[in-house]
Amino acid sequence: MSALATALAEVSQTADRLSRLSVRAHQNPYTLVDWPPAVDPERDWFGTPEYVSLYGTPVWAGLDDRARRRVAFHEAAGFYSLNIHGERALIQGLAARLYRSDLAGSAGYLHHFLDEENKHSVWFGGFCTRYARVHRSRQVSFATDRTRDVDDFLFFAKTLIFEEIVDHYNRVQARDGRLHPLARFINDNHHREEARHLVFGRRLVTALWQAGGWDRATAAEIRDDLARFVTATWREYYHPDVYADAGLDDPWELAEAAWSAPDQRTHRRRVSADCLRFLAAAGVLTEEPADAF
Amino acid sequence: MRSDTEIRAELRTFVRRHTGQVAVTDDTPLFTLRLLRSVHLPELIILLERLRGAPIDVEQLRIGDFDGIDAMVARFGRQP
Repeated sequence: MSALATALAEVSQTADRLSRLSVRAHQNPYTLVDWPPAVDPERDWFGTPEYVSLYGTPVWAGLDDRARRRVAFHEAAGFYSLNIHGERALIQGLAARLYRSDLAGSAGYLHHFLDEENKHSVWFGGFCTRYARVHRSRQVSFATDRTRDVDDFLFFAKTLIFEEIVDHYNRVQARDGRLHPLARFINDNHHREEARHLVFGRRLVTALWQAGGWDRATAAEIRDDLARFVTATWREYYHPDVYADAGLDDPWELAEAAWSAPDQRTHRRRVSADCLRFLAAAGVLTEEPADAF
Repeated sequence: MRSDTEIRAELRTFVRRHTGQVAVTDDTPLFTLRLLRSVHLPELIILLERLRGAPIDVEQLRIGDFDGIDAMVARFGRQP
């Protein structure tokens, strides 16, 4: 029996409860949003200004209000693009595990997970393709010779890290009364849906880590991979293409400067804190990711 | 855009930061030896883009493109 099969059996009651909630919360992504024909990036806020990746930098201080709104708009498209790419990887990973011979009994919640991630991408893609564009991701994955159990664990642990950081942004932006109603809706809807995935993810990652029973060297490699993933995930929030679309000069140098800015380091540490506390309490991580902050 | 020498110097710094005490030369196959892994790529790609001053098409990448400093300079050292 694989570690994932063991862990899924252990969290089956949670998965069944979440499945019932998913059925109750079932949505049609094609009818739920009344997309405006156009938006004005310089009039409305589409992202919380304090969560813009340039916030606290000299460049941000030098922008007028219209330019700040424009940056926040393109960064919203960048944030939604990150979600599209993250969900695409998630959909691929879930599909690869759906009805795997040892997991056939656990297909129920995986179906909901897959379905809901696809719907989220309909909303994110709907915004990006109507008003901006889908920005590229720099997350590239090449095949490895890791064991299946390690691959399973890294897949669900990385999914959890990605979703925990995204969810922090969603929660803040859903409640931000300054934002355009469409931006608030997209963030709020995603947060409500992800709440179920986060419950599942935390329970599964805990059970899977225990079921894995890895030796010290493998555990160290897993920890190193996850710590690096935290950094890689955050790096994507400093997107040169977004800065270029917002009309800012030297986008790569700007990304580097923003990444290193003290206020941004503090921001990343604060936003990551809850997720890292969970991973430390579960015994998965034993130290803070060195390069992320 | 930086010179070949500047690009190599920045890449060596990046590689040293992630490989620690392991001795690495410009032709060390970094991914084959698993000194670097997929999870390093976002940082590495953004560094390469900054050094060459142009985007990299991430949908057209192979592991061999990154498998050593020589390979990276050959593949990404010039603007398209």
